[in-house]
Amino acid sequence: MTVDLRPLCALPGRLREHRLDNGLAVCLLENRQAPLVSTSIWYRVGACDEDAPTAGSAHFLEHMMFKGSGRYAAGEIDRRTRELGGSNNAFTSQDSTAYYFSFSGDRWQEALEIEADRMTGLTLDPEEVERERQVIEEELAMYEDDPWDALDKAVHRALFGDHPYGRPIIGTRESLAAIGADELAAFHRRFYRPDNAVLVIAGDFDAKALDAVQRAFGGLQAGGEARSPIPQPAALDAPQRLERHQGEVGRLLLALPSPGADHPDYAPLRLLLTALAGPRTSRLAACLVEDEQLCVGVSAEIAETVEPGMAAVAAELLPGVESRLVEERVRLELARLVTDPLGDDEIERARRILVADWVFGLERIHQQGLAVGMALCLFDTDYPERHLRRALDCSRSRLAEVAERWIAPERTSVTGWSLPA
Amino acid sequence: MVVAGVTRERLIVRARRVEGAPVVAVRACLRAGARDESNPGLALVSGRMLSEGSGSRDWRRIAQGAEDLGASIAAFGDLELQGVAVDSLAADWEVAIDWAAELALESSFPADRCAWSVRQAEGELASLADHPDAATSWVFREQLYAPHPAARPPQGDARSLAAIDSDLCRKFHERSKESGLIVSVAGVVDAEAVERRVRERFAAVAGRRAELDSPPAPAGAEARRAWPVHGDQAHLFMGHLTVARSHPALPALRLLSVILGAGGGLSGRLPHRVREREGLAYSTHVDAAAGAGLDPGRLSVYVGTSPENVERAIRAVTEELQRVLDDGVTDAEVEEARAYLLGREPFRRETARQWADLMAAAVHYDLPLDSPEWVIDRVRAVDREQIERAARELIRPDEIKITVGAPE
Repeated sequence: MTVDLRPLCALPGRLREHRLDNGLAVCLLENRQAPLVSTSIWYRVGACDEDAPTAGSAHFLEHMMFKGSGRYAAGEIDRRTRELGGSNNAFTSQDSTAYYFSFSGDRWQEALEIEADRMTGLTLDPEEVERERQVIEEELAMYEDDPWDALDKAVHRALFGDHPYGRPIIGTRESLAAIGADELAAFHRRFYRPDNAVLVIAGDFDAKALDAVQRAFGGLQAGGEARSPIPQPAALDAPQRLERHQGEVGRLLLALPSPGADHPDYAPLRLLLTALAGPRTSRLAACLVEDEQLCVGVSAEIAETVEPGMAAVAAELLPGVESRLVEERVRLELARLVTDPLGDDEIERARRILVADWVFGLERIHQQGLAVGMALCLFDTDYPERHLRRALDCSRSRLAEVAERWIAPERTSVTGWSLPA
Repeated sequence: MVVAGVTRERLIVRARRVEGAPVVAVRACLRAGARDESNPGLALVSGRMLSEGSGSRDWRRIAQGAEDLGASIAAFGDLELQGVAVDSLAADWEVAIDWAAELALESSFPADRCAWSVRQAEGELASLADHPDAATSWVFREQLYAPHPAARPPQGDARSLAAIDSDLCRKFHERSKESGLIVSVAGVVDAEAVERRVRERFAAVAGRRAELDSPPAPAGAEARRAWPVHGDQAHLFMGHLTVARSHPALPALRLLSVILGAGGGLSGRLPHRVREREGLAYSTHVDAAAGAGLDPGRLSVYVGTSPENVERAIRAVTEELQRVLDDGVTDAEVEEARAYLLGREPFRRETARQWADLMAAAVHYDLPLDSPEWVIDRVRAVDREQIERAARELIRPDEIKITVGAPE
């Protein structure tokens, strides 16, 4: 069945872009589906902007953004958020750092004051920095105890080597020890400036929203340093294998180099991976889970990074299943994407799933705001729709060409195993 | 709004138009779950079997039918319910309802797929051991709830799973159907047309609900348990049973939970003390009525910390709970917690899927949980004295059970 999916690919709401004199990019996504407003501010800084000895600075700074600024003492941002019935959080990726709030539509404007205050007046009290270092060390221990997180970290390291994408976003115990208040202050000065940021307001706000933005941010000085160009990750010379021993269950993460998220091959590759290991009847899920019953689950992901990143197939084995058998099947199905290209029915199914995921993924105002913020921070506001259009438009032969380029089995890959201890 | 007494009907239908994304969420919930099973793991396997085959289609055709439309079908079995959740684009609402009816009412329980579901559940149990926080949480629940079914993972254990076959599933399914069915549908749909179609497709479900036997009452186990886990971190759980969903003190406990730290972010007494003041943990969670349903919920405090800091964390949690009992709470804390819960209310009903789940829960618990006004009024009605009374009556430091999952 071929149905026109294009009408579903538009961002919900009415989108307007502005830029303040100090360079702050402002995006207003007006959508009155619910009386809610979500704000997010995105900085073009992430783990890829760090030096290896101080890896984890971007994430450490993200924690410290809640620990005191000119008008908000440590903990006050959370207390104020709760008092206003809202929620907040933040995350750091390899390419960006984002902070967001969600509030009812009648009380969201304090989010702007908070963001402006901590953009320019972060306190970075050394005692708070020390206390937070302990918290981050606990966070690190939590990730290391999770077999999937630990395997993912090892596979990134193997695939990207010394490239910043190969370093854990949270840093290491050694690098965390090297980060103090001074290093964090320098990092903050360098990147946390209006001309290096994108502000998104999404939801049911009134006509004065832009005035409120101007009041909160208009007086801030530009001066953010443009990020240094990120080198492209070097290609591996040869396939690599790594084996860890942790836990009771076997886990496979087979990683391939992938194009950056705005590369024309990215969307077709994502479509291929959906048809490979997406829903129950996708090739690998049907084989490994439903028919041969070797695995509890299988999935395939592609990282949404600016520079070339990582695509990966993940499988969790049933107890007693031979790892060799699963790896053979995964390699076979990867190869088959090249030798036995997707049929029209498989392509159409994968397209519908991508579009439905997009629609369901944007049900909430908050999700809509984040989608716009990520797009404008790293690419432009047309990026999400451009991505979907590329997926919908690519022909069978184009998919075969992309499979040949990115999935062919002779390509360099990292095969990571976490096996029972 | 739920009308008193209406829950004796075997089929209850709720439909609602929800503006927003062009999607529809359909839930068909059989009103029996692990608390009603004879064999641990049976509700989970029986529930999941609903998407493994029907009178007219095998699992592959069922899955392919959904995938062809970009829809998803999830069959489930939990403590109180089993059923099917179908999420699709709104344009496909009719077929989504038809699938829900087909799977909930005409399941064929093929033996080979049942054996596979059992094996998957065994795999999940093995995987659980690799997630030390989750594994420790089940040890904690056993300490609180045994021999009640809430004490065990929905998969049961390897021995009980081995006893499950398609006949057992079929019988349990038939018994579950007698106990009633809730169908809730939300999305960009015409609610009246939806209700007509649901009643037509589920017409075989008629009459009155059958009562199921009550599960064994929770008795609990020893006061403190150490559990060996993989990894470097220790996982501390502390708490005891509190009240069921329908208990009049529940709103007060919800506000108390927020005061203690259930309000997100790092605010609240326990996160402030454990994470902000003492730097002991990245993860802390607290809820004074976690899992409250037909059976009692629990006071549950979680701290993920270093093994050497466990005793310090226990002391900090105990002192903070005792401080609530000794000194009460402040008016400012109460107002802040109230504002938080009122402010979060619209976010609990933002999507079609949330509405479908809320409507099903409202019917199941015979409480108007899907009425924003009712929920808001309940939160507004709680005052400081009620919170302090609820704390005095329902938070009992001397009865707190402690589970520590830590590396050996």
